[in-house]
Amino acid sequence: MESVQAKQPPTTTPEQQPQKLKPVHRMLLGFTGQEDRKIFNQIPAHVNKVHVDGLEHTKHDIVIKQVKDVLEAQSIGEICVRAHTAQSKLRKLDIFKDIQFFIDTSKGKQSGTNDYEVIFEVEERRLGGGIHGEVGTNDGAVRTAFKFLNLFGRAENVNMEYSYGTKMTSGSLMFSKPLFENPDILFRTGGYQHHGEYPWSGYRTIDRGLLADIQFPSRLGSHTLSCEGVWRELGCMNRTTAFAVREQAGHSLKYALKHIFARDHRDNNILPNKGTLFTCTQELAGVDDKVLGFVKHNMEFQAFKQLPLSTVFQLSLGGGIMKPLQSGTEVSIQDHFFLGGPLTLRGFNINAVGPSSDGNALGANAYWLGGLHLYTPLPFRIGKGGFDDHFRTHMFVNAGSLGNVNFDSNMKEDLQRLAETYRLSYGLGIVVRIGGLARLELNYCVPAQVRQGDSSNVGLQFGIGVTFS
Amino acid sequence: MASLLADAFAVEIGAKEPWPDNVSLYQPFEVGQILLPDFAACLGVKTYLSMCGLNYELVFKKNAEHMSPSGKVPFMHIGPFLISEFDPIVAFVNTKGFHLSSHLEETERGEMRAYMSLVDNVLLNAELYLSWCQEDVVTEVSRPRYGSVYPWPLNKVLSWKKYYEERRRLKAMGWAQKTLEEVCEEVKTCCQALSEKLDKNLYFFGDNPSELDALVYGHLYTLLTTVLPVSRFAEIIQEFDNLSQFVSRIDSKYHSKDLQR
Repeated sequence: MESVQAKQPPTTTPEQQPQKLKPVHRMLLGFTGQEDRKIFNQIPAHVNKVHVDGLEHTKHDIVIKQVKDVLEAQSIGEICVRAHTAQSKLRKLDIFKDIQFFIDTSKGKQSGTNDYEVIFEVEERRLGGGIHGEVGTNDGAVRTAFKFLNLFGRAENVNMEYSYGTKMTSGSLMFSKPLFENPDILFRTGGYQHHGEYPWSGYRTIDRGLLADIQFPSRLGSHTLSCEGVWRELGCMNRTTAFAVREQAGHSLKYALKHIFARDHRDNNILPNKGTLFTCTQELAGVDDKVLGFVKHNMEFQAFKQLPLSTVFQLSLGGGIMKPLQSGTEVSIQDHFFLGGPLTLRGFNINAVGPSSDGNALGANAYWLGGLHLYTPLPFRIGKGGFDDHFRTHMFVNAGSLGNVNFDSNMKEDLQRLAETYRLSYGLGIVVRIGGLARLELNYCVPAQVRQGDSSNVGLQFGIGVTFS
Repeated sequence: MASLLADAFAVEIGAKEPWPDNVSLYQPFEVGQILLPDFAACLGVKTYLSMCGLNYELVFKKNAEHMSPSGKVPFMHIGPFLISEFDPIVAFVNTKGFHLSSHLEETERGEMRAYMSLVDNVLLNAELYLSWCQEDVVTEVSRPRYGSVYPWPLNKVLSWKKYYEERRRLKAMGWAQKTLEEVCEEVKTCCQALSEKLDKNLYFFGDNPSELDALVYGHLYTLLTTVLPVSRFAEIIQEFDNLSQFVSRIDSKYHSKDLQR
């Protein structure tokens, strides 16, 4: 293993140019001093050539597009930064096992004193995959993935996945390709089959679908446009399923156009200290023979602010509404909004808030949810080093409501009722960040305001998941 | 096993209450969707309930088959209970205190069960055979009707899925391998047995109707009146005069309005 030495920053006399600096990106990141970075940025440099070694199957144009910005660099510091960016773009294509770059002085008759060459060494891979654990809200799954990479030379990947979990089993086959040789603009298409169980409502479903989507960034955030056709089969879990759910058993077809906008500027997605998150989803769906069945909107906002004494304050807001476009559209229980859970509306059982029948939650077509949290570090130390960083205590207040809004007649009254019949809970607990993957909460909750039909959980509540509010 | 006991227990408890007003009977749509065997089953149950003088509301649902706890139609929703198929419904009605065959002796009741079993084994399977193993009927009637309530492409996918499922079941029972002639022979034998039992009586067991009458009526009426590319069974039944008269007699007494097909 080469060691990286902290050298005197080179002077401008070319004769004293140092030998090969490698791996340079580690060196740059090792220097956190502002002074060093300023000096690096002041040393003029010019990139003559950029080589990429190790390409056999990959077409050159897509690789050139990722690395050509390195040629614009004006200083040593800029070369390092641009090369680092090029490296992450290449990594995003997912077709290389290893990407390293070196900066060397430019040899050759035409090269001047400040000329450099940047050499990327890549190792292609054609197969990929692995076994991962996944976490949903209070359920987990094991996902096995197998990928054929770089089919035609421009990062066309085929991804086969199979997930087996506590409440669901699913398999999918997806083809993905970056568009315009840009790894940030990704087109995907494929099919899937998903078996899910929803014990809070007493049904299970088998969804078989085809989908195609494009993901692209914009100045504000990332957008995803997708269109999907799903054959859904709903069946009752057991004999005690409520009749209102049993009436929806059987087969149905749903086709949907979706737009998802996401802007995540939090510094961490499990235990953020600062930043904001905003996501917004619009869906236009047709059900069975009604091409324009319903329109569904869903929004979520989170803001984190760091306060003195290492405390963090969080505000969350969320809401959604669904409107049938044609009278007589039967909106399936699978498309309804649900509310309640150990990470969202704490103090209530999973998805157990709102209209229910015989102990099964039916969901509704509108909801709102809000939360205020105050996170503090643990009052005592456990373990050494940064281990405590994964723990926080938090105090919270959550409020929300779920109800049906009838658009025909009493819309204003229904919306007012939705605001008035709020549920409220407060409490405190411990939040743990697990490996950057999941969030674990153990809270003592006091549901202060419970309405008829809700299923609440007074006292200790345990929750694990990825999404929270 | 536990749920069977729980069901039986629940039904026993429910027996204490009288027949409620809001009983519903669920079946698929009659005009465009329902198939031969299901129509016979539904008609049998409806006739039985009429014979007992019990009120019910008929509800048509395209997903009645999937709503049913056993996967078969018709099924009855009475209070908190869901009961499907002829025999369980008869048993439930009996617990409520309505009996059609209470006037029968033990031996006669045993005989009735034997005849009901014969009808189930022969006529029901013959209807299934006709619906799913006769190519003309399958392509012109069964598959289009079954898929008619779903949008494309579900109508094609689901009707083929049902076709394969029914054929697999019939193959397991040994019926799919029979020829039409063999099936007709079996139907003829069954009708002969029924005709001999009925003889010149009004009903199978004397002057009062029983479960067997409802069940036989359901199957015979269906086979006589359904227009299909293959109508052999109707011809066979018509050879037995007393059976045809039995059918029209029950039709005029208990189903005074014509059922639309």
